[in-house]
Amino acid sequence: MITLNRRKALALMGGTAAASLASPALAMNKPIKVGALRFTSHAGSFVAYERGYFAEAGLDVEFEFFEAAQPMAVAIASGDLDYAVTAISGGLISLAQKGAIKVIGGGLSEEPGIDGQKFLVSDAAFQAGVKTPADLGGKTFGISTAGSSFHYMGAKMAAAEGISLDYKPLQKVGAIIGALKSGQIDGWVIVPHIAKPLAGSGAVHIVGDVSTYLPSYQVTTLFTSARNAAEERALTESFLAGYSKGAADYNAAMIARAGGEDGVNAMVDLIHKYVNADQPREKAAASIINGTMRLNEGAALNVASVRDQLDWFQSEGLVDAGITLDMLLDTSYVQTMDS
Amino acid sequence: MAETAHAPGTSPSETARPVPFRGGGFAPRPRKWVGLAVFVALIALAEWGTRAGWISALTLPRPSDVLETFVQLYESGLLFRHLVPSLTRLIVGAAIGVGIGISLGILIGLFSHVRAGLVPLVAAIFPIPKIALLPLFVIWFGIDEASKYALIAFGTFTPMVVATYGAVDNVDRTLIRMGQSFGLSWVSIVRKIVLPGAMPGILSGLRISLAIAIILLVAAEMLGASHGIGAYILEAGSLYDLERLFAGVVILSVLGVTVSAGIGLVERRLLAWRS
Repeated sequence: MITLNRRKALALMGGTAAASLASPALAMNKPIKVGALRFTSHAGSFVAYERGYFAEAGLDVEFEFFEAAQPMAVAIASGDLDYAVTAISGGLISLAQKGAIKVIGGGLSEEPGIDGQKFLVSDAAFQAGVKTPADLGGKTFGISTAGSSFHYMGAKMAAAEGISLDYKPLQKVGAIIGALKSGQIDGWVIVPHIAKPLAGSGAVHIVGDVSTYLPSYQVTTLFTSARNAAEERALTESFLAGYSKGAADYNAAMIARAGGEDGVNAMVDLIHKYVNADQPREKAAASIINGTMRLNEGAALNVASVRDQLDWFQSEGLVDAGITLDMLLDTSYVQTMDS
Repeated sequence: MAETAHAPGTSPSETARPVPFRGGGFAPRPRKWVGLAVFVALIALAEWGTRAGWISALTLPRPSDVLETFVQLYESGLLFRHLVPSLTRLIVGAAIGVGIGISLGILIGLFSHVRAGLVPLVAAIFPIPKIALLPLFVIWFGIDEASKYALIAFGTFTPMVVATYGAVDNVDRTLIRMGQSFGLSWVSIVRKIVLPGAMPGILSGLRISLAIAIILLVAAEMLGASHGIGAYILEAGSLYDLERLFAGVVILSVLGVTVSAGIGLVERRLLAWRS
């Protein structure tokens, strides 16, 4: 504990004031709320916060944690959150159509060569001969809700294999895991940090990769309210700047392994504060390392993948056919790919 | 009223003053169109607000759009693909729950041993949120229809038991004593005095149980249902499609009103002896 007398305290206050005046931040310690799930796919925000990149960008970030992507989109629309990261869902597109939210950048991407999301089958189905995703034809396939990313991935795989799936909406990831383990449903698709431990327990089996069917799938995106995107340009740029540094650190440590084993360990320690925090470090570390996927550098956005997702949602009648890509995206902030 | 208070030329103390009937009570009289007018006014207000723009599209859907969604639902035939499974679940589940509930309720009302054994058990399972047991039901009864029947049956069972044995307890004791004095057999007393006497309470319990069944329908369709009104509402909610959400909610409300009207008919028939 440092003891301060009055003079020291005054000097310290003066010093802090001088230091903060000197920094060229666009917005001075502006308090913003960022929505996140306790998934490694949200590591960009966690790293940016822990390593002070948000503070450097002049933002005083407060995290709000959610259990599912859908309430997060609604929280942005209601103005309770400023920025969030989540998968593109039918709900997100509908909210964009109502003029409430805009996608401003890319989060997580599938990339061939990097272990991505996995197709899983139950042990019962596996024993009955379901050894590849193509064998799931006519079988039950777990999804959270119609129009979720699970539904999209399942449908794209089914279309590519020329099979049809019997979708079972089960609302929550926990319910799907329970149903899959007990053999109530046959197949599912999920991020690697959940897929691998499940497969390790022997109750389910990994039978394929999402990247086989969707090679550069834009899994998650950064989004904000339409008002922030249009009117708070400086604030949004500051957020993206802070987030991008976090994402770059994460990619460097976990994918390029620039810092070697130490770099990975430091990153795992940082993420462990947010993800699987209730588990001991060794157990959590395995899951966090298993969950490693590419975060888009500079929050670049794969517009071609977003267009494909929007087209699919419209072809299924899940969202209004009149929605255009412009309603959903604000591409003025980040680099775009394949557009 | 005015002339009775001040009849001209006579002093009030000398003449017998007719007293107006004041014991009318607060008996509600039927005013058929008021209920409808409230609905119409609220819907018109919502329509005006969404058209004028002081209610945003995020807050409330336009009632005319909801109607349009409903018409599309009907024309595409999807309405019945959702209604039929839901009604089946509702009827089968509620029939099981209400049937067992009334039988056990009557047994509890009639036999002290059954009462001593089952009342604590019913009290223990009544406050369990049935939705919390849904994952368990999926393991027990499978992901298909059986778990949905079970959830609705379980949810309607407990209120029905409590309402039934309460109704049996409230049967007029003097009537039963009279039956006993006149030497009626036990079976006759139950059939001619206890059951008819308990009927008003059982029917009002049925009203509550069936409303709970409709509420639980949405919960039952959370897991593994791709068709059904509840599944339709949940899907609309996750897609943030307010028009479809409200169309689904309106269907549930209409279902509730229909069930309530149906019980009203049964009440008029079964309780005709009261008037």
